[in-house]
Amino acid sequence: MSALTTGVKRFNRENWKAYFLLFPSLLIFAFFMFWPFIYTIYLSFFDWNMISPTKEFVGLQNYIDILTDPKSYNIFGNTFIYIAILLVLNCVVPYVFAFVIDMVLKRFKGFYKGALFMPAFISLVVGSILFTWILNPVSGPVAIILGWFGLEMPIWSKMDGWVIFVLSLITSWKVFGYNFIVLYASINGISRELIEAARLDQVPLWRIFFQIVLPMSSATGIYVFIITIVQGLQYVFTPIKVITQGGPNYASSNAIYHAYHEAFVLYRTGHSAALSILTMVIFLVLLFIEIKFVERGIYYEN
Amino acid sequence: MKKLVILFTFVAVLLVVSACGKKEETTANKTSNEGGKTVIEYWHVNAETQGGKTVDELVKEFNAQSETTEVIAKFNPDMYKGLMQNLQAEAAAGKAPAIVQVGWSFLNYFANNFEYSSPQAIIDQYFPEDKTFLEDYFLSNVLALAQGPDGEQIGIPYSLSTPVLYINRDLLKEAGLDENGPKTWEEVKEFSKTIKEQTGKFGVYIQQPADNWATQALLESNGAKMITDGKATFASEEGIKAYQLWADMVLEDQSAPNLPWDQGIQSFIDGNVAMLYTTIAQRSNVQSNSQFDVAAIKSPAWEGKSPKLPAGGAMLAITAKDEEQRKAGWEFMKFLYSVESVAKWTEGTGYVPPRKDVAEAENGLKDFLAENEMMNAAIEQMDGVVPWTSFPGDAGLQAEQLLLDVRDQILGGSISVEEGLKATEQQINELLQ
Repeated sequence: MSALTTGVKRFNRENWKAYFLLFPSLLIFAFFMFWPFIYTIYLSFFDWNMISPTKEFVGLQNYIDILTDPKSYNIFGNTFIYIAILLVLNCVVPYVFAFVIDMVLKRFKGFYKGALFMPAFISLVVGSILFTWILNPVSGPVAIILGWFGLEMPIWSKMDGWVIFVLSLITSWKVFGYNFIVLYASINGISRELIEAARLDQVPLWRIFFQIVLPMSSATGIYVFIITIVQGLQYVFTPIKVITQGGPNYASSNAIYHAYHEAFVLYRTGHSAALSILTMVIFLVLLFIEIKFVERGIYYEN
Repeated sequence: MKKLVILFTFVAVLLVVSACGKKEETTANKTSNEGGKTVIEYWHVNAETQGGKTVDELVKEFNAQSETTEVIAKFNPDMYKGLMQNLQAEAAAGKAPAIVQVGWSFLNYFANNFEYSSPQAIIDQYFPEDKTFLEDYFLSNVLALAQGPDGEQIGIPYSLSTPVLYINRDLLKEAGLDENGPKTWEEVKEFSKTIKEQTGKFGVYIQQPADNWATQALLESNGAKMITDGKATFASEEGIKAYQLWADMVLEDQSAPNLPWDQGIQSFIDGNVAMLYTTIAQRSNVQSNSQFDVAAIKSPAWEGKSPKLPAGGAMLAITAKDEEQRKAGWEFMKFLYSVESVAKWTEGTGYVPPRKDVAEAENGLKDFLAENEMMNAAIEQMDGVVPWTSFPGDAGLQAEQLLLDVRDQILGGSISVEEGLKATEQQINELLQ
């Protein structure tokens, strides 16, 4: 009975305005999120080259192809390596930076904030082209400087492992600033009295960080953690596309780039769609784990 | 205040809805304009920076002088693939432009899936005075680029590019080598080794973009065939020998860097690599950015063999459906293939002129070539042009990708040339079945 009345209440005179105001964004969501998602599921059961007027129904063949191809596991492996490196570069490091700049440093705080945030304004395509030049292992400035010390730069764009690391580095150049500013704001909001009290008690900095700052800013921390994984993988797409096109021999490809590659380079939309759906499933599982185990320990101020 | 908010929201919603529902108004249905001229559409892929301005200029010029035809140029984003997709949509709606650009890799797909008229058929039917136009003005190997498997002339070659060898004369001199550069691939290898030993710089960079164009030039010039009767055959003795030379330069002599395309070109321009094997379409980039004595020479041959160079670019095909449109289409095409128009096209895009008599003509490229000498290398080697191999069928692109994958493996040193090429050939033939 009570459930029924709340159901009726939901559509009372006050609420219609809320729905009305939500309508435009729901419309956009439906057009650009839900519909493509449903269409992707649909396409994953067909063999289609994007140009031909007919699509051939192949059932689960696309999924079977992907799951039996050793390349796919290679690519999913890369995806997780990217996640691991990006988590360090774009979540752990900015966390420490934000803490140091807010609580340890006394001067030039404004400058550091500005300088670190700056690259976030610049297009990653531009950044990628810039880094292709700066990090050119034969003739780029970095190679020249290393040359002064008798060091030879590895030809990273053609070497397994290195290529993932350098592409992550380029991505973090762009993403770092935003994550840093968000974490900085959160750490800055922690009550100063707490910190001062700890300092008076001679608590070492590393304990202040781990036992006070980290738990008290964990709500923002978890946001940055997730955004690093989700957005990071999408941002990595740009340098992959501009610099290596997934090479050498898929060593720098990740799940998102490979879905693009299958669809828009090889025109195998079915494979691409199936791969996207599988990627989506993996991320859903990750998200589920996160909600189940991590979310509990998070401190929300309000 | 509240009312204002509601009103504002309402307007916003309306805007979104109307933007989604807005239909592009096209002129496709219009077949003749007020002046009684036949209106035709010309579909091209040339963005503003890639010759789009030249397209507009040529169309404007044509429209000003033609009494019977008005051309509307329509730009198709996303290159030849984008154009194919749009053409598909247009065909589904029962319509078609009069003239389209078709990239070489889509030649077979185009011929199998779309309605077109062979240019010679239209000439024979309506323009007997142009009967020998094609044979008079085009090299037969160039015309062959636009022929289907059965030898039918599907279109006429329009945008052409070939690979050339750019050389840094200063570095060659410094290493005590002939400043006119190597003539054969064997010499390229020796030159590179000497350069590496004498100057410490790299000898040669062979382009590694996401296609097998330069690889084909290297292999087929040595007598290998990418495809024979619909089957991949590049792992022949000649093919392996040619690939081995490249792999040896990269892995054994370390005189050729294993780099992605942009970094390779950049390293040549910086003076860290003495020779660069890439498309003539890079000429203006190389020419305007190099600070040293730079030249372009013809693609090297293999000792005692003549080079076979795949053509990059596109052809023009006539897709017009009715008589008037077809006639108008040929009238426009003939204009595009005039000496003056082709010269403008070359200057605006960097492509090699597809027809004869343009290079020497006063009203053609004479002055342009005097200023841009590097272009000559590409023009002189036109007799060695062969079609750019596209693997047939739906798996063609996957086959291309397998060749790219093995390139990374071979040049990365993780597999031997023979093993890699043979395995890839077998995989491709399984795919193509």
